[in-house]
Amino acid sequence: MSAIAADPDAPETDRLPVLSPMLQRLAAERATGALMRDRGTLYLADGQVVHAESPATPGIDVLLTTGGTLRHEGWWDAVAQAGAGHRVGRYLVDSGHVPGGALELCHLGALYDAAFFALAPTGTPARFRYGVAHWIGPVRPVPVAAVERETLRRREFLDRIWPDPACDSAPLLRTAHGTDAPVPTRQRRLLELVDGFRTASDIAQALGRSAFHILVDLRRLAAAGLVEAVRAQPLPAAETPGRITLPEVTADPDIALLRRLRDALEAL
Amino acid sequence: MPGIDECLLEVMRLPGARGASVVDWTSGLALGTIGDSPNGDHEATAAETAEVARMTAEQPAFARLGGEGERPAESPSTPVEDVIVTTHDGYHMLRFVETAFDSSVFLHLWLDRSAGNLALARMRLGELAERLVLA
Repeated sequence: MSAIAADPDAPETDRLPVLSPMLQRLAAERATGALMRDRGTLYLADGQVVHAESPATPGIDVLLTTGGTLRHEGWWDAVAQAGAGHRVGRYLVDSGHVPGGALELCHLGALYDAAFFALAPTGTPARFRYGVAHWIGPVRPVPVAAVERETLRRREFLDRIWPDPACDSAPLLRTAHGTDAPVPTRQRRLLELVDGFRTASDIAQALGRSAFHILVDLRRLAAAGLVEAVRAQPLPAAETPGRITLPEVTADPDIALLRRLRDALEAL
Repeated sequence: MPGIDECLLEVMRLPGARGASVVDWTSGLALGTIGDSPNGDHEATAAETAEVARMTAEQPAFARLGGEGERPAESPSTPVEDVIVTTHDGYHMLRFVETAFDSSVFLHLWLDRSAGNLALARMRLGELAERLVLA
């Protein structure tokens, strides 16, 4: 939060890092369509974010139906009636399935949550499909700058709770430690689903809770020493005597050395 | 059936209201804001008040945790209804919003101490928190 407060005074070059130059360009040209990234999709209308989806976090349908706000039939009725016209959100409210305020709260939560995952660092280039609209339709559009700012704040927030992201994506395991302090109800429900196989996303799906909320609670549980990530086991074969141990492959190969090797081989 | 903005406009009609917001206390995100904020930055205020709301909501002393007989597994997310903080020139009221879907939302009202009426504001904020998520 202090970073946000201090931001307006920072010189232009020290501004928040750009999450996606493409997204900023699309916002500037007031584009409408879907920005498809490695870990999720942002839907824009007139350069504003109107919806976001990510496989890492439950969709608004799961969030609304899990708690009983909306019955499954109500959801499918809305999709059938208003899906083709891209007005499912409006229909849910007008038909009395979901109160207007509840839809806004749930939708905004789902939007920022999915955007957090969709804007995660990736090496895969993003694609933008102009003109594509999401069937949920307009609920409460959010400026791109607000989404980017919030995503950065959330990364920092998670690291402040517990600076190890291991629990964010790996299968989770309960540790043998006992609890010194009582675990809050929400964290306890989460803890009950930790079984050595489920990941944070699986738990979010099972509980019908925002995956970012699950990450926040998981980092707190990890900080308390109650949960840890299942670490990939080193292959036992590597220790077998008689095998040649190869050096680890590095992320940046020595290009010059490779060129010299190639040249030498070609010269043979 | 009001949305976030209509709800905040209603909150601001309370005598002495200086600013208000709807905040998610797990992430510290401001879902909607209106009027002034104590430090001039609604987003920073939201992140700070969210921490107070979370600690209160999860505080064992208030949340009746550890009671073997009544396990609050299926009860609302917190039995706490609101938090009131009094400063030398104002009141801050955090009112938890109970939703049918999983959420952690509260309404934050900043009230001027001389112009505001604490009892009235508390009652009204409770009503508005309910109406926000009711049809």
